[in-house]
Amino acid sequence: MVDNEKPKNIGVYLCRCGGNISDVVDLQSITESVKGENVTVNIQDYLCSSAGQEKIKSDIEKGKIDRVVIGSCSPKLHLETFRSMVKGAGVNPNLLEITNIREQASWVHDKEGKDSVNSKVRGLIKGAVARMSSIEPLVPLEKKLVDRTLVVGGGIAGITTALELADDHEVILIEKQPYLGGHMIGLSKTFPTLDCSQCILTPKMVAVHNHPGITMHTQTEVADVAGSPGDYSITLKHSPRYVDIKKCISCGACTRKCPAGAIFLPFAQTVPQAYMIDMSKCDRCGACVKICPRDAVNLDAKEEITTISVGAVAIATGFEPIDPSFIEEYNYPSPNLLTAIEFEEMLSAKSKTGMRLQKADASFPERVAFVLCAGSRDFTGKGRKHCSKVCCIYSQKQAQLVKKMKPEAEAWIFYIDMRSAGRRFEEFYHHTQEKGVNYVRGKVAEIIPKQDGTLMVQYEDTNLGRKGREIFDIVVLCPALIPSAGTKELADRLGVPLGDDGFIEEKHVKLDPVNTLNQAVFAAGCVLGPKDIHDSVTEGVSAAHKVSQFLGKGMILIPPEKPMILECNGCGDCVKACPYNALTLSGGKAMLSPLACTGCGICVPACPIKGIEIRNFTRSQLKAQLKAMLEDAPGVVVFIDPYAYAAADIAGVNRKQYSSLVRFISLPSIHVLDADVVNAAFEYGATGVMLIEGTTDEKLASRSDDLYKTLKKDTRKHKKPLRYSHIETAQYEKLTDLLNVFASQAGAKAEKRSRKEKGEEKGEETMDA
Amino acid sequence: MQKETIIPESRDNAFRDLIIKMPGGENLLTCMQCGTCAGSCPVSHEMDYTPRQIVRMIQLGLKKEVLNSNTIWICTTCFSCSVRCPRGIYPTELMETLKPIAMKEGIRNKNAKFDTVFADVVKKNGRASEFLLFSKYSISEPGMIKQAPFGISLITKGKLPLSVAKMDDTRELEAIFKLGEENDGMETEK
Repeated sequence: MVDNEKPKNIGVYLCRCGGNISDVVDLQSITESVKGENVTVNIQDYLCSSAGQEKIKSDIEKGKIDRVVIGSCSPKLHLETFRSMVKGAGVNPNLLEITNIREQASWVHDKEGKDSVNSKVRGLIKGAVARMSSIEPLVPLEKKLVDRTLVVGGGIAGITTALELADDHEVILIEKQPYLGGHMIGLSKTFPTLDCSQCILTPKMVAVHNHPGITMHTQTEVADVAGSPGDYSITLKHSPRYVDIKKCISCGACTRKCPAGAIFLPFAQTVPQAYMIDMSKCDRCGACVKICPRDAVNLDAKEEITTISVGAVAIATGFEPIDPSFIEEYNYPSPNLLTAIEFEEMLSAKSKTGMRLQKADASFPERVAFVLCAGSRDFTGKGRKHCSKVCCIYSQKQAQLVKKMKPEAEAWIFYIDMRSAGRRFEEFYHHTQEKGVNYVRGKVAEIIPKQDGTLMVQYEDTNLGRKGREIFDIVVLCPALIPSAGTKELADRLGVPLGDDGFIEEKHVKLDPVNTLNQAVFAAGCVLGPKDIHDSVTEGVSAAHKVSQFLGKGMILIPPEKPMILECNGCGDCVKACPYNALTLSGGKAMLSPLACTGCGICVPACPIKGIEIRNFTRSQLKAQLKAMLEDAPGVVVFIDPYAYAAADIAGVNRKQYSSLVRFISLPSIHVLDADVVNAAFEYGATGVMLIEGTTDEKLASRSDDLYKTLKKDTRKHKKPLRYSHIETAQYEKLTDLLNVFASQAGAKAEKRSRKEKGEEKGEETMDA
Repeated sequence: MQKETIIPESRDNAFRDLIIKMPGGENLLTCMQCGTCAGSCPVSHEMDYTPRQIVRMIQLGLKKEVLNSNTIWICTTCFSCSVRCPRGIYPTELMETLKPIAMKEGIRNKNAKFDTVFADVVKKNGRASEFLLFSKYSISEPGMIKQAPFGISLITKGKLPLSVAKMDDTRELEAIFKLGEENDGMETEK
């Protein structure tokens, strides 16, 4: 298992990151303490630059080194770059690993003393070197991909993704609503050009419907996800429409006959063009069934479940407006107090007023107010922190529409900051000002409905420093835009983390904006954050390209860190333990199906004879790393899975400080651990051990409690703290709070213990607080 | 006055609509309240409302307060605001537009009076005389009497000549004043 045949010459490369690291960490002193007989250390300004990479490459080519440890930013950023570089130079990519000394050290401990940060980094690098000398070269497994994509969401982002993909790859597009078009079909005119939303969208909806490469399902949601990236088996739930889409010719005979007004076409341009029944109104008289010339109506239609096989998933589930009723001072809902979505719909294809702007009493409003940031830019926890981005511009568009319909009508916009960044938007703002729209800088304080149906708005004009009160016929709230209902459930099923704002976390905020942390799952549109049509389309095109690139390879590489069965007595415990049915008994011995295996490691502690190890995460390899890491100075060892690791990265990016005693050990999952490894950590000097996992996979998370209890029992003899915590990627603040509390508890306990030992043995043990 | 709540009754949209059609009002609706004008103004610290606030108040139709402000009279017409405004508004011209409207409305605050006295002196003599200006303004604005010792010391040091220079022929000037009085509500002693 350990490659002992040839000597291992390890090159350690430390990156200054232009001061990001070297301003906090004394890399020179690290070099001195790490270098050794088979270990060379080199410091570069920017390792990711071509000069930095060239240095590593030439050292390999000159035969100086054959294994690489890098101390730099998070592996999330450049691991693949470095690995493909060393591969080109003839080194197995697995023999390069990154130690994260930026997000997990220099960015989060810069308020602490230099000594403690240096001591941490020294430990991390030493641990990494020890690990590197113990691991073996591995070759990733290949699995055939299913060349079919599921696009979830039929709004403009999903439509674009589907159409851009469908010429080359088979697409299944599902939409929760009975029609395509998402929020966009409910818009009137679109800023900044004021072209009509349905005029530009309808041709695209029809194209989706007619494209031979796209299978479209409306009223459909994802019910379950099984399988693995590249080969998913996804269960879909279809709600009944009661009208067969394929048979209906939308002649309207049914709706004329229906005495209850239950059968209807959602709106004239609906795609698919088919009637539907609102069962809450239907009294099952059967008139529609009898009159339908095509026999399309079926009152007994039931919910259906189907299963599809896809290789990739594109999430385009969009947004929904926050319900503004939590803002008590705005008194929503009240007559004539609308959300901007309701205002839009009144003037859109979905209009129920014949595209007429009107008050509750059907008359035209003379005075309309737009209230921005209703529920956004709120850090109290009642609303949302983020800016919803589009409201500044669409409210101005809506104000223009009011002025266009009736020039003498008054339109007021109450804003905090007028954000019109982006091409053509400042011009749009200027143009709206010229139309005589009244801009008030100040958030509305109160909206009070009056007896006569008007609304009194109380505000401060912050430009004048004076309070004001006005009466309006209609007040439009521009609500915070939040991820649509069900985003979390879908993301959890697909193993895709969300940010703390509930939107899907991109693989990289800037450089990988439509990839997610799951290589087979992509995202586009407002599920990645509020944005306008232009940006949603851009992301739809990008996501399609990324999906196509992914599927085009035909194969997916599977991480090679799988279990190896070294010894087996045929007891079958591992087979029972495996949540993914990747282990079977064959001829009295356990056998692994590597493609079904996710590498979670549950089988490792399950084996009663310790006959199973995960490649490159074996007990002895982990112990070697722990020993070297804790050699110079004790610390708190935190075993962390990739999802929680991503939370630590976010904490780093946000410079959330936490104790430098924390030493992360990255694992494919915390379930590879058994008491052997945790006991070793304590023996080597860990003052405390934490297990932190962020996976949303219930098959794993549901077993964590048992794992924790077993470990607690089996490591009790050390009398040192052990803790388990579930931290999803978004919860980086919770993570740092927890690390701080735990580190100080572990420190206090260690101090107490050392005082006691001193008292008894007059030992000279000292301890960091 | 300054802290009064803005309510529909305090706003006069007709006033706003009038001003935006007059010199200095053309681009007034596009003001984004950036404050370049007030920041550039050498005398905005003396004003009760800065030029930015005046523009905002016109947008809201706060006629009474705009016309009663000292801002429109304190403006030295240095044009810094007009040169720098990113939206192409000319606050300098706006002030000139507002002055005669204030006069027509019968507003006679001390700043307006100063302008009236100044115009009187110029109309009579064709030239400005600091002595006449000082003494006449002191009569109409009793508070000025406190400045008398300062004036006397200026006179004794020869810094405030008592003689008044006169224009030879004031007919053209009179015609200008006549136009102003007929059209803009300018008021001088008859």
